[in-house]
Amino acid sequence: MESLVANNIRQRPLRALVSIAGVALGVCLVMLFTGLSRGMSNDLQRRSSNLRAEIIFTRPGGMELTTSTANLSTKYADELLQVEGVAQAVPVIRYVFQGGRGFGFEQVEGVDWDAFAAMNEMRLVDGRAPAAVDEIVIDETKARNGNIGVGGTLALFGGKPYRIVGVYAPESGARVKMSLAAMQDALEAPGKCSYILVKCHDGVDPLAVIGRIEAQPSTQGNKIQLTRDIITNIEKTIPYLSVFLRALVGLSAIVSALVVMLAMYTTITERTREIGMLKALGASRGYIVSVIEREAFVISLLGLVAGFTVSFLAGYLINRAYGLLFEYGWRWALVAALIGVGGGVLGALYPAVRAANLDPVNALSHE
Amino acid sequence: MKTILQAENVEKVYRVGSVDVAALRGVSLDLEEGEFLAIMGPSGCGKSTLLHLLGGLLTPSGGRIVIDGEDLTAASDAKRTDIRRRKIGFVFQRFNLFPTLTAEGNLRLAERIHAGGGNGGDNADRRREVLRLLKLEDKMHHKPLELSGGEQQRVALARAIVNRPAIILADEPTGNLDSENSAIVLNMFQEMNYRFNQTIIMITHNPEAAAMCRRIVQMRDGQIVAPNTGLQV
Repeated sequence: MESLVANNIRQRPLRALVSIAGVALGVCLVMLFTGLSRGMSNDLQRRSSNLRAEIIFTRPGGMELTTSTANLSTKYADELLQVEGVAQAVPVIRYVFQGGRGFGFEQVEGVDWDAFAAMNEMRLVDGRAPAAVDEIVIDETKARNGNIGVGGTLALFGGKPYRIVGVYAPESGARVKMSLAAMQDALEAPGKCSYILVKCHDGVDPLAVIGRIEAQPSTQGNKIQLTRDIITNIEKTIPYLSVFLRALVGLSAIVSALVVMLAMYTTITERTREIGMLKALGASRGYIVSVIEREAFVISLLGLVAGFTVSFLAGYLINRAYGLLFEYGWRWALVAALIGVGGGVLGALYPAVRAANLDPVNALSHE
Repeated sequence: MKTILQAENVEKVYRVGSVDVAALRGVSLDLEEGEFLAIMGPSGCGKSTLLHLLGGLLTPSGGRIVIDGEDLTAASDAKRTDIRRRKIGFVFQRFNLFPTLTAEGNLRLAERIHAGGGNGGDNADRRREVLRLLKLEDKMHHKPLELSGGEQQRVALARAIVNRPAIILADEPTGNLDSENSAIVLNMFQEMNYRFNQTIIMITHNPEAAAMCRRIVQMRDGQIVAPNTGLQV
């Protein structure tokens, strides 16, 4: 059946497209930011969960997300091995630098590969362990996303090329690792590390071990934490992330509503005479509001589809280009859908009510 | 015979800035079912204001208007809209068709609104009959801009009559048409009046158009000065 709503949208394609784009923008903002936040958080959690060490021994400030500190002496590893219940202690340097494409941060870890791999049950799926100062190994995800492998090179530390000599699995911590000595050399920090991973003997309570480490006079002033608490701490190092996301969601709703309101307000002005005609035909206020709201609803639905499509496409392309991970959840998708449709419908409410209250004689004489 | 319209001492005063301008000064008019009435008069005499008041598009400053037994002046805005939906059909000088809808779409929209805005009111037989009588069968899928002025006005007439209103109010329906199309449209009005016993009030400046009506009312300065001139059929 011929529909006034559908025909109005078809008759004014540019205005409809602007409105659809406005709704899509709101949906995209919510989907991309929450998808990125969730993707990166889950990725960190996944990689951290692959660490088999139960305890991390570090100095205060040594585990910040965006800093590169190597202020802990590797000699602590020998002292930790003397503590009852400790099976292994492996020093790690973590270096954080701006991404190669100027977007986000990347991490490199310096480890004694054999000890690190043995502790965390990792294996080389291709190539060999790093030995020389310009050699690195990467995890399978890095190899797959970057379409690189053994024999390739990666530019680190100000563009210096490093040869890829191995690919390892499973992913754990930083995606790029070099030998501890090579990292100490690159950072001019001999004998230093960022933290020490501590693995306990089977059946030993890590909390009891932590108590014993803390009782050692030589370890005073350092920070000891459980590996499983890392994610909690990571979230704490990004303060107000959830507040930011909520603010973003609110902003998206306002953007959607404003764009639709402006578009519908314009269309009401354009169609003043038609609204007068509806009134002359005996259309009630409710009917006029419903015509405009139905139009806004259809536009919002189209915006929703466009927004989801662009979000998934943009997430895929950003992942391909920059390696950033996007994971979309149903809950946030539902929020984005509510924002898109709710913002559109609410945004159209004022113009719709204004149209319904127009004086019919004035509306009919509108040029 | 049933009285379709009763207007008693109707007044309308517009406020322009701080000045009150009387557009209608006590107009009284009765109309029987099946009458075809022309209202004539010079520009600014209050013809259109009277038509808008009779159609419930305006509220009078004084007096009383009863359409088919329902008092418009005592009704709320929503009630007047409801009376307009059920009892009144409008035909305007500028056609006022929905440009995005086809001729048939315009009729169906009127049917839908007449049915209260739901999906009811779709009476294809009646629609086809009206379109056939107005010789628009082959134009039903055309949009207004694809039709001539005369055809557009015939669609507007079809839209007004498709719901069989108690009264049709036409505001200079031939004002935008050439003489040939004017004659066609006026014949259609007459046809609807005869065939369906449709009550019609038509504002016109054209004496030839008025001559086709059963009764002519002359207005001047917001008053009816000659309540029953012209042809009596």
